[in-house]
Amino acid sequence: MKVLKKEKFPQIWQAINQAYELYLPIEKDDRVNFAQWTEGETVNLEALKTEISPKDVIFPQSETYLKFESDGKKLQLESVESENREYVLFGVRSCDAVSFNLIDNVFLREPIDRLYEKRRNKGTIVSLACSEPEENCFCSSFQIKPEEASPGVDVAAWDLGDKILWKPVTEKGQVLTQKFAQLMEDASQQDQEELIKLQNAIKEKVKELPLASVDPKVIKGELKEIFESKVWDELSQSCLGCGACTYICPTCHCYDIQDFAGGNCGERFRCWDSCMFSEFTLMAHGNPRTTQKQRFRQRFMHKLVYYPNNHGSYACVGCGRCIEKCPVNMNIVKVIKRLGGEG
Amino acid sequence: MEKIANKVRETARLALANGEVNKILGWKKGDFWYDSYPAFITEEEGTASLIWDSFCVANLSKYLIEQLKEDIKVGVFLKGCDARAFNQLLKDNRVDRDKVVIYGLPCPGMIDPEKVKKAGLAKGLLDVQKSEDEVVFITKEGEQKFSAREFAYDKCLTCQYPNPVVYDELLAEEVERNNTTEYFYQDVEEIEKMSPDERFAYWVEQFSKCIRCNACRNVCPACSCEKCIFDNSKANVAGKAKVDSEEQFFHIVRAYHVAGRCVDCGECSRVCPVGIPLAKLNRKIIKDITEFYGEHNAGVNPSLDAPLETFKLEDIDPFETRAKGGK
Repeated sequence: MKVLKKEKFPQIWQAINQAYELYLPIEKDDRVNFAQWTEGETVNLEALKTEISPKDVIFPQSETYLKFESDGKKLQLESVESENREYVLFGVRSCDAVSFNLIDNVFLREPIDRLYEKRRNKGTIVSLACSEPEENCFCSSFQIKPEEASPGVDVAAWDLGDKILWKPVTEKGQVLTQKFAQLMEDASQQDQEELIKLQNAIKEKVKELPLASVDPKVIKGELKEIFESKVWDELSQSCLGCGACTYICPTCHCYDIQDFAGGNCGERFRCWDSCMFSEFTLMAHGNPRTTQKQRFRQRFMHKLVYYPNNHGSYACVGCGRCIEKCPVNMNIVKVIKRLGGEG
Repeated sequence: MEKIANKVRETARLALANGEVNKILGWKKGDFWYDSYPAFITEEEGTASLIWDSFCVANLSKYLIEQLKEDIKVGVFLKGCDARAFNQLLKDNRVDRDKVVIYGLPCPGMIDPEKVKKAGLAKGLLDVQKSEDEVVFITKEGEQKFSAREFAYDKCLTCQYPNPVVYDELLAEEVERNNTTEYFYQDVEEIEKMSPDERFAYWVEQFSKCIRCNACRNVCPACSCEKCIFDNSKANVAGKAKVDSEEQFFHIVRAYHVAGRCVDCGECSRVCPVGIPLAKLNRKIIKDITEFYGEHNAGVNPSLDAPLETFKLEDIDPFETRAKGGK
């Protein structure tokens, strides 16, 4: 275990940036989001959660992967390779770190999504424990422990005031640590004790959160029964059908494939898509989901029923972003409670 | 507001009980102090959960398009801006006035939870109450009082129509109209003062934040097309890519499409999850229309012709009289 003094932050950002692409929570116009670091940016590791989840770093919102050109007779295809630089994603909270594993379950099982795999393997993830969980956090409802290193991260970090405690947990994490070891010190006995104190404090805070009692297990019964519940009619009425929830969500991972077509040549790209949109699932024969109720139901059935059936865990990490951002205050907590018979 | 809330519940209960309407659109309270959300109620008992507080910001009038597809009569609670939105929907032939009973709510201005959060007051906050010009934040430790203006949405600070412009029944006394017209276009004037290059850079930067979620469009009462061109894959303009050109195209097309029909409710700015000040674009167009054709406030009086939908011989030629050059 190492210790990195906060006064060394500017130095370590510079150093990491020499060897990797570096992504950090960056403050701009009073808002904090993960972005690639460049000299002069305001890094904000105090803000608990970024406005949008960091999934964009491992799964870009838009990515071109093919160029095509036709001379009328012959079609030429050229694959577009993303640049081959490794990256460090620093300051990921436990909920978001777990979300990466949930997306992995989909894209890294056969047939493996090569684009995603390539980008994912290039990353080294440094998590940062949540010293101050917020009121709309409910990660504990999904057994996520914001005081610990989430499974899958390469380095776990904790904020101890004027320094962070740095614990490499994977080989990649070791490599990163060794590269910049000259900027760090070994953690002392006192640091270790402070860590335990901090972890205990976080555990207590999490227990006290207003949504601590949210439990997705209240959703019981057969899939068909849940699917046909009257609750969907009721809750979906307020849904505007925008994609704010899906695009800020750390676990939503649906995408569309489209072309930038320009006469006889063009580019093919994939981009995030939202099951809330009317043209989502539009196929040659038409669209199987024609109403907002069906689309709304799909999003929550996926997170709370289908995904758990397929992968053994819920596809929500309780980050609370949808609670904050839905224009009409509809969110997964309301859905869980209502499906569980409350209200 | 609690006194009026009682009236809201009672009005809704009676309307359902005597069969005046089949459904009520109002607001309910969720888990948090800021969590006032749209409620759709068909049973008399359900009306007990209705509320009226400083967070009933969601506009209920656009829901009527969908709700009235069923052959029912709907009772709806509308604030000043919501009522203007209703009138615009009426003018755009998207709702049937005869199938709606409007309960008007003079609006004292809504509280912006983001401002509360930024002021560091959100932590441990249990309830927020408003009385006259004061807002009271209640935590376990006690109460703190502030001026309500400090925490009002920007759009509420410049609101000229807090009282509903259309209603069947008004549930409270009208509130005083905000007369601070000198501030009305302050946000637009700040942009107008920029050089063309600065202005271009400003909007490129703002639009580059866009995540293409469509929240601005879907909340907008002037965006009421059956099928938006951006959702029509056959139209070949529906680029979902997160690239500057697509983002700019989307927002500029939208601003022009709602030109003259925008009721200045400011919902686009409010719902944008990444904080693009979209209403400034629409307000610039409102300002220009006012300067070219005289004051026109969309949704205030639906029987008036909208300047961009009519042509008069004496209309000015904006390009001739106002062309400023630049980019």
